Amino acid sequence: MTSLSEEVLLVVKKVRQKKQDGTLYLMAERIAWGPEGKDRFTVSHLYADIRCQKISPDGKAKVQLQLVLHTGESTTFHFANESTALKDREAAKELLQQLLPKFKKKANKELEEKNRMLQEDPVLFQLYKDLVVSQVISAEEFWANRLGGINNTDPSPYNNKQEVGISGAFLADIRPQTDGCNGLRYNLTADIIESIFRTYPAVKQKYSENVPHNLTEKEFWTRFFQSHYFHRDRINTGTQDIFSECAKQDEKGLKTLVTQGVKNPLVDLQSLEDKTLDEGYGICTTQPSTSNANKSVKDSSNSAIIKRFNHHSAMVLAAGSRRGELASDQASETSSTDGNSRDSDFFQPPVKKVKLQEAIEFEDLQRENRPKTVPLNLKKSDRYAHGPVPLQSQQYTTSQDIINSVNYIRHEMASYKPSLTQVRAQTLCAQQRV
Amino acid sequence: MKLNIEGLLVYFPYDYIYPEQYSYMLELKRTLDAKGHGVLEMPSGTGKTISLLSLIVAYQRAFPLEVTKLIYCSRTVPEIEKVVEELRKLMEFYTKETGESNNFLALALSSRKNLCIHPEILHANIVVYSYHYLLDPKIADLVSKELAKKSVVVFDEAHNIDNVCIDSMSVNITRRTLDRCQTNVDTLQNTIHKIKETDAAKLREEYRRLVEGLKEANVARETDIYLANPVLPDEILQEAVPGSIRTAEHFVGFMRRFLEYLKSRLRVQHVVQESAPQFLKDIFEKVCIDRKPLRFCAERLQSLLRTLEIADIADFSAVTLISNFATLVSTYSQGFTIIIEPFEDRTPTIANPVLHFSCMDPSIAIKPVFQRFQSVVITSGTLSPLDIYPRILDFRPVTMASFTMTLARTCLCPLIVGRGNDQVALSSKFETREDFAVIRNYGNLLLEMSAIVPDGIVAFFTSYVYMENIVASWYEQGILENIQRNKLIFIETQDAAETSMALEKYQEACENGRGAILLSVARGKVSEGIDFVHHYGRAVIMFGVPYVYTQSRILKARLEYLRDQFQIRENDFLTFDAMRHAAQCVGRAIRGKTDYGLMIFADKRYARADKRGKLPRWIQEHINDGSLNLTVDEAVQLSKHFLRQMAQPFRQEDQLGLSLLTLEQLESEEMLQKITQIAHQT
Repeated sequence: MTSLSEEVLLVVKKVRQKKQDGTLYLMAERIAWGPEGKDRFTVSHLYADIRCQKISPDGKAKVQLQLVLHTGESTTFHFANESTALKDREAAKELLQQLLPKFKKKANKELEEKNRMLQEDPVLFQLYKDLVVSQVISAEEFWANRLGGINNTDPSPYNNKQEVGISGAFLADIRPQTDGCNGLRYNLTADIIESIFRTYPAVKQKYSENVPHNLTEKEFWTRFFQSHYFHRDRINTGTQDIFSECAKQDEKGLKTLVTQGVKNPLVDLQSLEDKTLDEGYGICTTQPSTSNANKSVKDSSNSAIIKRFNHHSAMVLAAGSRRGELASDQASETSSTDGNSRDSDFFQPPVKKVKLQEAIEFEDLQRENRPKTVPLNLKKSDRYAHGPVPLQSQQYTTSQDIINSVNYIRHEMASYKPSLTQVRAQTLCAQQRV
Repeated sequence: MKLNIEGLLVYFPYDYIYPEQYSYMLELKRTLDAKGHGVLEMPSGTGKTISLLSLIVAYQRAFPLEVTKLIYCSRTVPEIEKVVEELRKLMEFYTKETGESNNFLALALSSRKNLCIHPEILHANIVVYSYHYLLDPKIADLVSKELAKKSVVVFDEAHNIDNVCIDSMSVNITRRTLDRCQTNVDTLQNTIHKIKETDAAKLREEYRRLVEGLKEANVARETDIYLANPVLPDEILQEAVPGSIRTAEHFVGFMRRFLEYLKSRLRVQHVVQESAPQFLKDIFEKVCIDRKPLRFCAERLQSLLRTLEIADIADFSAVTLISNFATLVSTYSQGFTIIIEPFEDRTPTIANPVLHFSCMDPSIAIKPVFQRFQSVVITSGTLSPLDIYPRILDFRPVTMASFTMTLARTCLCPLIVGRGNDQVALSSKFETREDFAVIRNYGNLLLEMSAIVPDGIVAFFTSYVYMENIVASWYEQGILENIQRNKLIFIETQDAAETSMALEKYQEACENGRGAILLSVARGKVSEGIDFVHHYGRAVIMFGVPYVYTQSRILKARLEYLRDQFQIRENDFLTFDAMRHAAQCVGRAIRGKTDYGLMIFADKRYARADKRGKLPRWIQEHINDGSLNLTVDEAVQLSKHFLRQMAQPFRQEDQLGLSLLTLEQLESEEMLQKITQIAHQT
């Protein structure tokens, strides 16, 4: 484990730990400390295990750095080199500051995964309470048995997990606040930025093109919020901004989406009507259309809002299902090939046929084909998981009871002595059985 | 199962049956027995189509001499295709049960590109096509003219049939039409000129035929071979084509004169409204065109186009339009009005003159159908009030019935929201339309609903302009952003392709669990043609009462006509029209007994008896006093309760014996008695 071939990033001498002098090593994946004069580490923490670091306030006599681990334990280092103590500590702190976030993600993921498993599986959770909380085994042991799987030996359950979509209202969450001096403040979080990027890939592209070469991050977002692109309902004042291209791209994307048409023929409004009246026939009692060129500014701003909402919703939806898209495309393609061969007398696209049959189906008028089953009505799933236990609450065995009885049995077993003289003869047994 | 409907053996391709289906078939059979017409209202999702098909096919098999053909008309292409699928299912069932492949020929015409050749129509036992093939004289003449008298005609989804009739008989003429017509006439002139040099005999032959007159057509009509064409009235069949338009050149000259006159009429500065006789008087005074040759225009043009062997008639659509107009205006002294508008009301500075020749009497277009075919059935999920249809279509039905939806659980929940939480009265009426408080409360209603209704919500507005304004206002107030926290928002636009995409995305969002709201417009394509089954529509909100735009002169003229001719008061008709559209909108959400949905009427005027009473019976009977004038909060509470109940599993056993029957259950004396109460006669 402690092979010294690891890359050592920083070595700090004269660091005391538990009142012992020693040397602190910061390496690629862990931080370690060894007492003076010995060639092995008595303290070694993987960065991934570290939750955070704390430092003693300036001006305190002891210059210290404390590492808090995810398990709750902590290790304190005392920088004892009188002349450079503060500098040493700063160097270690700075380096840790850079290193910890890199590992944090991984650790968080693991933690989240564990959390998720416990939440999704009540049985596992109960087991966890019984074993870990009551300290029968340690958390590490528990997880080591439970899932060697977490660390990607078996990635399938993790990948099957539904991806988290994007809130439809993420733009609403960045409502500007006035900062008191004729300005607006937009609060952006990493999540929101991620949402913007996922929903509007064109903006992400602009970002990677311009930041940080041409613009700082702050400038980029300032321009974004000032842009006509963000305020789609305002009529373009002709200002050239870097986002006008995005708007054009969106427009184009929308157009291709529209021209591609819809897969489900039952929602295709264009082919809904069998025959629209010939030009010149019919009655127009409806209000004069607004599609004329002489629309007022208000009208076109209104229709811009409507367009924008449709586009936004479509993009949010697409961002959420981008992954599933491939699979469903394939599915529809395969079904189309076999659909055509099956139904040669009637050239209907198979999607259409399926949709039509769905539409005319009366499931309740048909005898149910599947075998009759009695639906299980679970009122309390944990009780179901525990098997038949008496209903009286006072007799309900708690984890502590179980542990006590286990201990009791263990104790009994330890002091168990077979009294061989009392054993019955085999013949006698046979007789008794009869 | 095999049913016994008053002695008729009916094959019904399902294991179970809804009581109302049985009741519906009973009424239908009585209509056919009486060889009369019927008006039948049955809720959508109760298997109306399959009941119709099962009964009529059985009837055709039992009495092949009494009913020779079923002509099934529906409105949209998907509807037509659904009918075909149901028919296919029925035929498969017949084959399975009887063991013989039946020789029934069914034919579907959907969209012009597979417009079939008409001999096939004549031999088919069942023809399925859109309304226009029967109601639009221009097409009916090509497709449906020779359909046998002993046919049964069904108009499904017929709640708007009067508008289809009117549309097919109305003509609008703009400057562009006249210009194109001018080009047509020039082309005709040149072609005539050419033919005269090469094949003068052809024109002489045509002349001879025209002297003979339209005797042939007359003989055909008298011997009852043809469906009458309202553009070709009886009288002219007995006469020869008048001399003034008999030769090809004279006719072209005549058309030129008529065209010049129309051009002069379009040069107006103010709105003109006149009747057909006034128009004829004016044309006689100004350019000495008589009524008689005008009446022959349409027929004369057809003859000329045939003689000249013009292949692509579509190129001559403008001159055909004008000649049709000439014939109509000189044939009908009543039922039409002429309105010439020099500009659109919104843009008084831009000259854009239009001559509207508007039909106000739907019975004109449908009259030949009622006269010719022995049974015509008008049916839909929403036909209330039933008695208005026979009045405006001018026919005498032998059966009129409205059926309820028998339900084991009340799966629809109509609520009338009349007030906001701040007690502001909610209404889309003109005076408060711009009222900030109303718009805000409407927004609040949608917001609250978006938080409690699972999956899809569809909201309808009274008009597109109204929706645009409200959406803009909600956007400014930040209401839409708050709604977005709960659901994605999609909005109908005036572009059909764009809206189709929005619709598909809406369904996708309902499908994957994210949930969405569709903002749409009553009287629009979505409200008339798209179903929102199950999770695609767990709630429909109707914002306001969808009155037609009443400032239109054409509408005013129609209302006047209805009052004078049919004694239907303007307000009664307007309310009827608004309520049938509202019913269409809210009915979109319930597409069956296993489906469920909220129907929210957000306008206090719905609580009034004159509005409420015009809703279909199957909706009305679920509106109780406790759901009449709710605040938003109260509606939310009731909705929560309803949705929680509906979310419980609903199995076939729950329905059996109540709203779903086996054959044995159906045949029990007690049930048969109950069933008689389902049909509500008026």
